[in-house]
Amino acid sequence: MDTIDANASDVDAADVNTSRRRFLTGATSVIGAVGVVGAAIPFVASWKPSAKAKAAGAPVKVNVGKLEAGARLVVEWRGKPVYIVRRTAETLAAVDALGDETLKDMTSIDAAQPSYIKGSARALAGKEDVLVLVGLCTHLGCAPIYRPDVGAADLGGDSWMGGFFCPCHGSKFDLSGRVYVNVPAPTNLEIPPHSYESDSIIVIGVDAEV
Amino acid sequence: MEKQQGFGAWIDARLPTLKREWNRHMAEYYAPKNFNWWYYFGVLSMVVLVIQLVTGIWLLMSYQGSAEQAFASVEYIMRDVELGWIIRYAHSTGASAFFIVVYMHMFRGLVYGSYKAPRELVWVFGMTIYVALMAEAFLGYVLPWGQMSYWGAQVIISLFGAIPVVGEDIVQWIRGDYLISGITLNRFMSLHVVAMPIILIALVVMHIIALHDVGSNNPDGVSIKKYKDAKGNPIDGIPFYPYFVIHDLVPITVFLFAFCSVLFFMPEMGGYFLEHANFEIANSLKTPEHIAPVWYFTPYYSMLRAVPDKLGGFMAMAAAIAILFVLPWLDRSPVRSMRYKGNISRVMIILFAANFIILGYLGVKAPTAARTVLAQICTIFYFSYFIGIYFWTRYERTRPEPDRITMDGGIGTFKTLCGFALIGILVVIPLKVVGAEGKSCGTIDCDDFDADLGNNASLQKGAQIAVNYCMGCHSFQYSRWERVADDIAIPHGLMMDNMVFTGQKIGDLMTIGMTEEKSKAWFGAVPPDLTLVARSRSPEWLYTYLRNFYADDSRPLGVNNRVYKDVGMPHALLDLQGLTECAPGPMMADNGGIKRDLKSGDDILGDPCGRFAQVTDGALTASEFDAAVFDLVNFLTYIAEPMAQQRKHIGRLVLMFLALLLVFVVLLNREYWKGIH
Repeated sequence: MDTIDANASDVDAADVNTSRRRFLTGATSVIGAVGVVGAAIPFVASWKPSAKAKAAGAPVKVNVGKLEAGARLVVEWRGKPVYIVRRTAETLAAVDALGDETLKDMTSIDAAQPSYIKGSARALAGKEDVLVLVGLCTHLGCAPIYRPDVGAADLGGDSWMGGFFCPCHGSKFDLSGRVYVNVPAPTNLEIPPHSYESDSIIVIGVDAEV
Repeated sequence: MEKQQGFGAWIDARLPTLKREWNRHMAEYYAPKNFNWWYYFGVLSMVVLVIQLVTGIWLLMSYQGSAEQAFASVEYIMRDVELGWIIRYAHSTGASAFFIVVYMHMFRGLVYGSYKAPRELVWVFGMTIYVALMAEAFLGYVLPWGQMSYWGAQVIISLFGAIPVVGEDIVQWIRGDYLISGITLNRFMSLHVVAMPIILIALVVMHIIALHDVGSNNPDGVSIKKYKDAKGNPIDGIPFYPYFVIHDLVPITVFLFAFCSVLFFMPEMGGYFLEHANFEIANSLKTPEHIAPVWYFTPYYSMLRAVPDKLGGFMAMAAAIAILFVLPWLDRSPVRSMRYKGNISRVMIILFAANFIILGYLGVKAPTAARTVLAQICTIFYFSYFIGIYFWTRYERTRPEPDRITMDGGIGTFKTLCGFALIGILVVIPLKVVGAEGKSCGTIDCDDFDADLGNNASLQKGAQIAVNYCMGCHSFQYSRWERVADDIAIPHGLMMDNMVFTGQKIGDLMTIGMTEEKSKAWFGAVPPDLTLVARSRSPEWLYTYLRNFYADDSRPLGVNNRVYKDVGMPHALLDLQGLTECAPGPMMADNGGIKRDLKSGDDILGDPCGRFAQVTDGALTASEFDAAVFDLVNFLTYIAEPMAQQRKHIGRLVLMFLALLLVFVVLLNREYWKGIH
């Protein structure tokens, strides 16, 4: 019994080099943390859309050659409804005349739209008559109803210039998809990336070269 | 700092259990100072458990547990899910790693007598974990729904048919069908994913609680509780936190290095971690030529096969596992550790280890008469060991145990390595005696093939041949056109114009128009999908097979094959190669060389089909044809594992990082342990 070293039970406090310990603990922790982040990469990456989802979300080609003025076409792109509307020159003029007493964001500064979409028509240059937009309300994602009927009594009578009306919470948009004032939707309807493969074929999902 | 203490105190006032348990199991749990490297495997099995849980959760996000979708969804994870292959390989490597560390952990227990009083319950809980783990591994192996999944399940479930009277009813009840089907797969998935993990975690908790209640054993097998300091803590112990936590970081890093080496550089581990036949989809009408369970079950599988009776084999297998449970009551030795046990115990533990490995090896090999005899001898020895232990531990002369633990005890590194070498020799010699392997490619040996996956020109030519000559009948339905185009640098436009079939999009899977009914009518069987053929066969096999067609009028299609006798496939590359026929050629002598005439030194042309003679010319010369087949097989190798190049690239980065981490954990460990003797 008496031969036992009483100090053996714990580390001799004088031997401890605290600063070295602290440095090594810190350095190892930092490298370990890098390792944890690295190990997390595959787990995070695996949540991104898979090749299958990307293939299903591939660009969609639409022939708008036979789309009449005032008519609307709904196509599916990445599982979302995309509205394509052919507008007349009068409609475009009426849209252009609307000001910020009616519209929340008439110049589409806050809108989700590609950089090559410009002006009140919100369409590609030279193709102003064709409106392409994602048919989901920017409020809570319902599909707005196409209401081109100017002066509709239920939508404000004379002040209604035609546009889109969301049945869920009453948001209103003009015929360029711009949101009205005093409705819950915060921004204009989204315009998806699109381009023209030929005069009448639109490719939704591929950006136009400007 | 101040705030943390405040928060700590706040928590402690409301949840004192947290601190109490932390102290009990970590900060104030005194573990013996003389732990050696054998004691790393406990914590390593915890590491693997975490890897399996996390990767398993992620796999389930993309896996589909139906007979129609299971196999395809695994390939979906491997190909379409970004970096999904890392998660899948981590899970499959983890399954084998789990058993490696658990077997080492158990062997440690045998050597140092960790099962003896007062740790019987630690051992029993541990054994229960082992059995639960085997169940978990078996259930999980069925989920990929490959050929080995299917037939492994068939064999294991049929074992229950050995039970007298009610056996067949039980088998049907487990399957829920008249054969193994999607119904079986569904219930196995539920058990593998939900039930067994809960049971496993509960058992692990009990294992650790049981251990911490009585304290850890150590290489000397003597208690550290005899001598305590003024505070009542064992003099020969040291708090688990921080000392052993930091100590364990070193083996954890080393383990991760080994784990990632397998994951990134040899995920199939030569067919032992991922079996070749499992790259073929389950087929209830065709058993693979050679069927064996995954390596960690094979010792018991050997015992099953060694007994020439269905019920007897089942009982032997069950008893082999059951007998381990009662080991604490079989060992009557007054000492725990092998360091102080007698010579009989020492010799026997070496023989036992070698015996177990031999049984494992025999279990992966096809049975021959000699191998069966060896397996029978080993089975008898296995049980003799446990019966014998009851007697020799009682009567052999032990060495005196020290009063306290020793820091320099044991046999040292050199003798440990000698011990491993001895076990190795004891394993190899009996296996050499019974060894005998057939030819690797049917009737002949495979030709060498070294894939060149960085060679896009070769891969592009191979892709062209595959589309033009293979895809008339065979699909590549787990791969997408776009992935192939991007990986081997074919522009999308070119791919669409020249390869992708009419009506398909570039992002589509590489399916074909031929229906199963039609192909059955034409060939009598559905031509297999080729996406994974280079993994289910091997590149060498394919390269040899495609170059060994010859004219044979007795066959319906007019050709036969030296690698795949009486194959149902026509010679698809006939246009390129032209027709060849058998000609007498040299034959192999028994010693592996070519048989030559003793007088003249000429080759003896004793093999009637040792050479091929050209009957009609093809579009290519013989050497051009070989090159074309090389390109094709190179492409097949690529498409079987399209991420192979990326895998090795990421693997190199991971290993470099782990090497860096190792430097720091070693330094940290040395700093904390330098004052401890």
